[in-house]
Amino acid sequence: MAQKVLVVDDSPTMVMSLKTALGMNGFEVETAGNGQEALNKLKAGSKPHLILTDINMPVMGGMELIGKVRAMPEFRYVPILTLTTEGDSAKRDEGKRAGATGWLVKPVAGDDLIRVIRKVLPGAR
Amino acid sequence: MAGYPGQTRNGLAPAKRTSSGARQQTREEYRLRRAGRRVFGTALLGLLCAVAFVASLMVALGQEFYEHWDAILELMALFIVAPLAIAARVHWKSARRGIADLGEIGKLSSHEIQAVAAARSALAAELRDSEPYIDVMYEQIGDSLRQSEQDVLKVIGDLGTLNENAAGQRHRIAESMANGRDMTRSTAERVTSNKEVIAAIELQLAEQNNELRCSFERIENMAGEVDALKPLIKVITSIAQQTSLLALNAEIEAARAGNAGREFAVVAGEVRKLSVATTKAAADIADKINATTARVEREMSDAQTALAQYQSGDELSHLIEGLTEMQNDFCNNSNTLLQVVGELDLSYEESVKRLSQALGHLQYQDVMRQRMEHVQSALSDMRTHMRLLGEKPDDPSWDGRLESTFKEILATHLQHYRMERQTATHLATTGKSTIALGGRPDIELF
Repeated sequence: MAQKVLVVDDSPTMVMSLKTALGMNGFEVETAGNGQEALNKLKAGSKPHLILTDINMPVMGGMELIGKVRAMPEFRYVPILTLTTEGDSAKRDEGKRAGATGWLVKPVAGDDLIRVIRKVLPGAR
Repeated sequence: MAGYPGQTRNGLAPAKRTSSGARQQTREEYRLRRAGRRVFGTALLGLLCAVAFVASLMVALGQEFYEHWDAILELMALFIVAPLAIAARVHWKSARRGIADLGEIGKLSSHEIQAVAAARSALAAELRDSEPYIDVMYEQIGDSLRQSEQDVLKVIGDLGTLNENAAGQRHRIAESMANGRDMTRSTAERVTSNKEVIAAIELQLAEQNNELRCSFERIENMAGEVDALKPLIKVITSIAQQTSLLALNAEIEAARAGNAGREFAVVAGEVRKLSVATTKAAADIADKINATTARVEREMSDAQTALAQYQSGDELSHLIEGLTEMQNDFCNNSNTLLQVVGELDLSYEESVKRLSQALGHLQYQDVMRQRMEHVQSALSDMRTHMRLLGEKPDDPSWDGRLESTFKEILATHLQHYRMERQTATHLATTGKSTIALGGRPDIELF
């Protein structure tokens, strides 16, 4: 069974490109336009194996989303990767404290992204 | 992207254009009148304070007021007159500067005053006209972003369709590959089985040939042995004929003997009948031997002809060899097909890798969008600032100071950049110290 990745980004091009790239590499992809939407999906029963989120988004940003997801016991150990234009060290450290698994600065080459996801996702082929 | 904070499109009323050439002079006159009002106000306040102070002391002290007159004057000079005199001095100096400015303006010709006023008016109008200019640039950026987003989405859609088609082909190839593997395995098993069967058939045929050959030899031997009986039949026939002659002689002699030979004549007759029967039986045996020998010879001849033809044509062997060769060819072709299918599978994986790379590169659109949105925000700040600057020349109370300058606004952008590259570009453009990019890797796992 394909492993599911929840992609959270407010940019339609990012959502579509990530969905296509992950899909063609064998992952099942679910999408959300901001942190709140992603949180609603998780509360509604979605069980992603990995969350890939932007940081700067309307309604609820990625940093707040990470904190709220880590507060949910069933998602405490789900890998969360950020994919953002933010390269600032302070932001990275903040993300690390919030519970992010890794920090990726856009643009990330497609095969690098797949490699990192497979590295942090146990059992990914 | 739809608008920027505080923006009021077409919100500004057309500026009141001053056609008077004495705007500068009016402004200086205003300053002078203001300074005069302040000097007058200060003097009046001092006078009122002094009168109120003296009156209150007269009421409070009564007759003792005149006894302390000297002290009262000193207090008035120290706490009321002196500060007010200093303030009046400051205002008076300001008034003198205004007078001096008026004097300078007064030295200008009417034409020069009109030129200065016209330039100032034109500058204000230009500053106000910068707003639609900035609006257009803002919208151009926004429209470019929308268009690039749509184009990138189309590209992603096309790449997705391409991948779906490739995935469909890959699925069909995978099915073909599975079928090919099954067929090859089945064929290999059949070939192995057929080879065993063929080997058994060949062995059996060889044994049958040997057996047949031996049977031929045995039949030939038997035919020879039967044929060897022919002389013996002749001997039997000859003995029977001689016996018949002897029996005939015996019958003749018995007839001569009369009654005494009657019994003997009966025996002789029976012997003669026996010899005749023996001759007939020998003739029958000879006929049957001849017929049997002829038939065996004919059958042997036909069988030998058939065996000779079979051995010389070797049709079954050729058929078996052809079948084996065909099966080997099929196996080789199947393996070649499997190899081609395997290469196609590798090719698909390579295409997926390249498509993933291409999709990764398309992230540049999001990066560019965020940078352009920051530029739009900066344009919005610029628009607001230009509008304020456009209003200032018409404000006679403006003293030349600004709440914020372009320099200060530009400096605030440094705090709002999201990307190191934005900060680096800003610092490099403004000629300040640069930052080193790539301090931390773009991909960092915690």
